[in-house]
Amino acid sequence: MIKSLITIAREQMHSFYLILRLSAFEVKSAHTNNYLGRFWEILNPVIQLAIYWLVFGIGVRGGQQITMENEVRVPFFIWMVTGMVVWFFVNPAISKSSKSIYSRLQLISKMSFPMSAIPSFVIMANFYTHLMLMAVVIIVLQFTSFKLSVYYIQLPYFMLATLIFLLALALITSTLSTIIRDVQQIVQSVLRMILYVTPLIWHTDQLVLQGVDLTFLLKMNPLYYLVEGYRASLLGTTWYVTEYAPYTLYFWSLILVMLLVGSALHVKFRNRFVDFL
Amino acid sequence: MSETVVVQNVCKKYKMHKSPKEKLLDVLLPKGYGEDFYALQNISFTANQGDVIGLVGVNGSGKSTLSNILGGVIPPTSGTIKTVGQASIIAISSGLNNQLTGRENIELKCLMLGFKKKEIQEMEAEIISFTDIGKFIDQPVKKYSSGMRSRLGFAISVTVNPDILIVDEALSVGDQIFGQKSKNKMFEFKQKGKTMFFVSHSMGQIKEFCDKAIWLEYGEIKDFGPVTEVIPAYESFLKKHKALTAEEQKKFREEVMRKQSGLSMT
Repeated sequence: MIKSLITIAREQMHSFYLILRLSAFEVKSAHTNNYLGRFWEILNPVIQLAIYWLVFGIGVRGGQQITMENEVRVPFFIWMVTGMVVWFFVNPAISKSSKSIYSRLQLISKMSFPMSAIPSFVIMANFYTHLMLMAVVIIVLQFTSFKLSVYYIQLPYFMLATLIFLLALALITSTLSTIIRDVQQIVQSVLRMILYVTPLIWHTDQLVLQGVDLTFLLKMNPLYYLVEGYRASLLGTTWYVTEYAPYTLYFWSLILVMLLVGSALHVKFRNRFVDFL
Repeated sequence: MSETVVVQNVCKKYKMHKSPKEKLLDVLLPKGYGEDFYALQNISFTANQGDVIGLVGVNGSGKSTLSNILGGVIPPTSGTIKTVGQASIIAISSGLNNQLTGRENIELKCLMLGFKKKEIQEMEAEIISFTDIGKFIDQPVKKYSSGMRSRLGFAISVTVNPDILIVDEALSVGDQIFGQKSKNKMFEFKQKGKTMFFVSHSMGQIKEFCDKAIWLEYGEIKDFGPVTEVIPAYESFLKKHKALTAEEQKKFREEVMRKQSGLSMT
């Protein structure tokens, strides 16, 4: 298992230029048919945010503000945007990277091609959009009471953590979905569920059912950590990494396990990928 | 002369599944599940530097499977293949991205083949001049005519300068002018002493290019030797086969199926 992990890590580093170029082509070929081109990458999230704000912000919460841990009061819209900016990256990245291998295998047609670079460049292509959206969100935040702060320096850490999380997950899902195509459907439905159990549109600082606190169940989801981390950085509420040190430890142990399982699976099956087409 | 391709006891086994249920069982069970189909059985041969080898055989005899294995596209089920240098397959339908322009496709394809940034820049001009499609090089490939598309694919494959070349029925691309151009390129490769494999149903082409030939029959090597011996034998087999009655032809096909399902192995 550890050997496979080293193989994958080496492959990722060696094909860094390849990943950058291929992801650039990926972005390009996705938008050649639209007149508005890349502008849709901003427009689509805006439309979604508007409807979520109407339904959950005005409808369900009645415009009520959200109180963060340190008693900072945040308008729902800003609270939602700072979380959803992660979702707009993670959601397409997970679903596209899990089908990345089987949908591109015919193009590769060479066993010597570093297979593990395929999910990486798909994730990378989505990361460019994420950076663009982040820039927009940060600019918008400057017109609110949540201005640029020292907490922003946590952002690169959380971006890197998100990228590694996505790669670890993609190694597992892209391999499995190549062998059993149904996995792609499972990924899609789980993603639809995840939207509601991650603090994105529903503020869940406490989930108590019949006197039992079930918040820990929600926190098992690694996305919870990432979303809250982004939010803490953008709103300048806490030093999330150290404030929740045990949670940070949990997150990275989980990622390590996922990476180990993912690379073992990937290395075991990659020579036979063509046979599964 | 040095050996460039050494193939030893190569077998390629496919599983035939009647339903998705059998396919799932095949993935889950450690020993696999399903009826075996041997596309290739016990293939062993050696090719030297400068050899131009024709692959002949009736449909379904395993020519394309063998060329894909030689080109490293699919792995063999058992047996080993040693190749000295880089192998490249030229097939008509080489994967081009329709949304991207010809120029972008060149870079994409070269990246996929594992070339470095600088090498790609050097090769680009050469590929563009070989395709000879003018301004279309900066148009998306979806706007190309089918001739342009195959010319682009062919130009990329030959310009990457592989040591071992596998040509799968690709010499008939484009018009006669381009056909002549690609033939010249092939002769140039031959003179440089590259090892080449030709898959073709045109005996004329095989005789023109190749020195040796491999005759495949139901996934096995029926004959391997100089073109002057193998091709006449194959041609007389074809003649005889055509003369067979429908009943006899059916019997031959059944024999083939029986052999390829691996029953003759036991």
